[in-house]
Amino acid sequence: MTDPIIAFDRVVFSYDYVEVLHEISFALRRGEVVGLLGPNGAGKSTTIKIIAGILAPSGGAVSVAGFPLPERAIDVKQRIGYVPENAMLFESLTGQEFLELCGRLHGVEEEILQMRIREILETFSLASDRSSRLDTYSKGMRQKVLIAAALLHNPELILLDEPLSGLDINAAIMIKDLIAALSADGRTVLYSSHVLDVVEKICNRALIIHKGSLIADGTLESLRASTGRESLEDVFRTLTHSDGVEPGVARIVAALR
Amino acid sequence: MIDRIWHAIEGFLRRSPQVNLLMKRMGIDTVKYWLLVALFGALSDRRELPGHLGRTDMSLQKSSWMFYFLSALMALFFVLAGMSPTTYLAVFLVLSGFLLFTTLLSEANNSLVNPVEGVVLAHQPIDGATYTSAKLTHILRILLYLVPALNLIPAFAGLLLKGAPWYYPLLHLTAAFGEGIVLALACCALFGWLIRFVPPARLKAVGFAAEMSSWLLYLLSQFVPQMHMKFRLPHWLPTGTGPLIAIACALAALAAAMIVLGLRSLSGDYLARVSAIAQGGSGKKFRARRFQLGALVCSGPSARAGFDYVWCMMTRDWQFRRQMISLIPIAAMVFIAARQGLRISPFSGKFTAAHVFPHALGFAFFMICANMPYGLDRKGAWVFLLAPMGALRGLARGVYARLLTLILAPQLVLLPVLAWQWGIRDAALFLAYSAAVSALYLSLELRLVEGVPFTRQEQASGNPYMLMILLVGGLAVGIAVALQYFLIFRSPQAVLAVTVALSIAAWLATRSALQTFEVSIRFHLGLVSNESKGIYTEVNS
Repeated sequence: MTDPIIAFDRVVFSYDYVEVLHEISFALRRGEVVGLLGPNGAGKSTTIKIIAGILAPSGGAVSVAGFPLPERAIDVKQRIGYVPENAMLFESLTGQEFLELCGRLHGVEEEILQMRIREILETFSLASDRSSRLDTYSKGMRQKVLIAAALLHNPELILLDEPLSGLDINAAIMIKDLIAALSADGRTVLYSSHVLDVVEKICNRALIIHKGSLIADGTLESLRASTGRESLEDVFRTLTHSDGVEPGVARIVAALR
Repeated sequence: MIDRIWHAIEGFLRRSPQVNLLMKRMGIDTVKYWLLVALFGALSDRRELPGHLGRTDMSLQKSSWMFYFLSALMALFFVLAGMSPTTYLAVFLVLSGFLLFTTLLSEANNSLVNPVEGVVLAHQPIDGATYTSAKLTHILRILLYLVPALNLIPAFAGLLLKGAPWYYPLLHLTAAFGEGIVLALACCALFGWLIRFVPPARLKAVGFAAEMSSWLLYLLSQFVPQMHMKFRLPHWLPTGTGPLIAIACALAALAAAMIVLGLRSLSGDYLARVSAIAQGGSGKKFRARRFQLGALVCSGPSARAGFDYVWCMMTRDWQFRRQMISLIPIAAMVFIAARQGLRISPFSGKFTAAHVFPHALGFAFFMICANMPYGLDRKGAWVFLLAPMGALRGLARGVYARLLTLILAPQLVLLPVLAWQWGIRDAALFLAYSAAVSALYLSLELRLVEGVPFTRQEQASGNPYMLMILLVGGLAVGIAVALQYFLIFRSPQAVLAVTVALSIAAWLATRSALQTFEVSIRFHLGLVSNESKGIYTEVNS
């Protein structure tokens, strides 16, 4: 068996003395497409940021592509593509300028870089907007730019934090196909999302985080079997104890009356 | 001119193999370094993230011209006074050092502790040394503008001093640049230490305190003569030049070690900390207040919304709080003057600190109103777009009510103190007069608040008329203080009459200012233009 591309061993993370991840352990093998699920504030984005070398864990051991974090963060960052949850961009740069910056920071050769930018922008129907400033882009266009920036340097590991946010139906279908194609090409994808039916369609394994703890890790079939539920949404409700959401809804409606 | 010099230096450094080799030895990736320098330059030129990447060319040029003018005036004064070259050089080095330290502390804090652009770059493969060296390049650029502005004219004017050698300008400028570089490194090292040891969530608050340290040093310097007298420091030092040189060398070595270690802290895993610094938040929980002043002062829910909103933003907006640092010297001067002057009643016929008190308050609120339109959380302005039209009038009144309570509060606090010192009649009359003057100032200054407070991006170039307003306003205030002293405070009846007149003027001016403020809020929210569009469409159809 090959070494895992991501190895989390009893990882703890605290923001200002408040522990938000409690001794999480899991491993991802190369070529897997894994869904990272959890309610708001569960610790999904923090987990992804630790893998991306953006945050240093407070305890435990993390290695990505064989490199320990945070010590070898630069080597890790060289090998990953990351689409952040919030579309943080330099708004005054054009789409072309932003992609050139990202590619050059990853050391992509100029000729290859320009070819990749051209191809990706045309595929994403952004070619005609390449010279427009990013602050004129719609949310979906910005999301496409972020996805393009994450792929330019041909990363081994792709971290997607709500990547379909703001995308139209055609673009969303294309991204799902792209994830499948990248996986078939040997890339590993960690896909964090609230949209469970998308995770159900494109992932072959799911990690469920709840209140900073990993409460489930397995193939979708094994999760369904262990909970006795059919859909991933029902599995999720069972595991995160959110079955009682309806009384909460009733309380809100009552308060509004 | 300075830009050309800067680009020439940059071109030389880019091409020089020795420089590139040296940078590599220091752990800097030269390709990424120049990419980042170009990126920061482009963002700065395009007015993105103003204030986070060092000052823009326009604001640097404005500051420089002001410093050229002031330093020329001071040089003329000192030359005419026949100062010795040594004292002349020392005075300019102290002045230049203080102004540079204040400016560079602010720049280093803004650049290193609030790294907005770092969040975009945090997942890129850039090491801390490369990233911080690119950011510090901007700080060195500020030196290239400000050191000549503070010292070029005095350096050449120094040739007119009696006993000054022919090479005096060279000596003066070398000393000034040396001082500037040491101060720049020291400021960066200070923040390096803070970033290393202060938890990310507390860093902005600590950086804010560090930024005030130059003013703290200034205030402490006021007590140096007393300390000197009390502790007799020279008596503790060994006699003879040798031991003194040894102590100086040891202190210099210690300072150098502190700077080097501080800079190393910055170049370590700085970028890994950026995300935590920018996104961590303080985690502070704000308690719901039991006493709701807004409920007493405001007449409706929208006014109360404005009343509470503006107070929350004034106390929590990091950028606004930083701008308010400039009020510290005024507060310090008022405090020092008050210690000596408030014992004597303004009705005694003597000129006291009390004569300046309402005008100092007016100036403080001028600064507050001038900075209030801008905020870091401006993207939340959409909330006001959804407010019903009538609510904006209430909102404007709520904002004004908060400012009025703040400007009147010092008068209420001082009432028992002054009543004890001067007697109840003098205290009440003076504070009524002061409240009327303050309210009049506020009604004029409210016009500076364009749009909903804290919902606009700070202008990189600042307000072009600000310097003019300050100069003309300063002159007008000077005349007002003189009239007040020579004419009004000669009799309580005159003060009472003027207080009534000023109150009426303040009331009328406030009515007009509130209408303008409301229109300004609508305009900046785009409501006026949308309404106009609607009207035109209706007419055309």
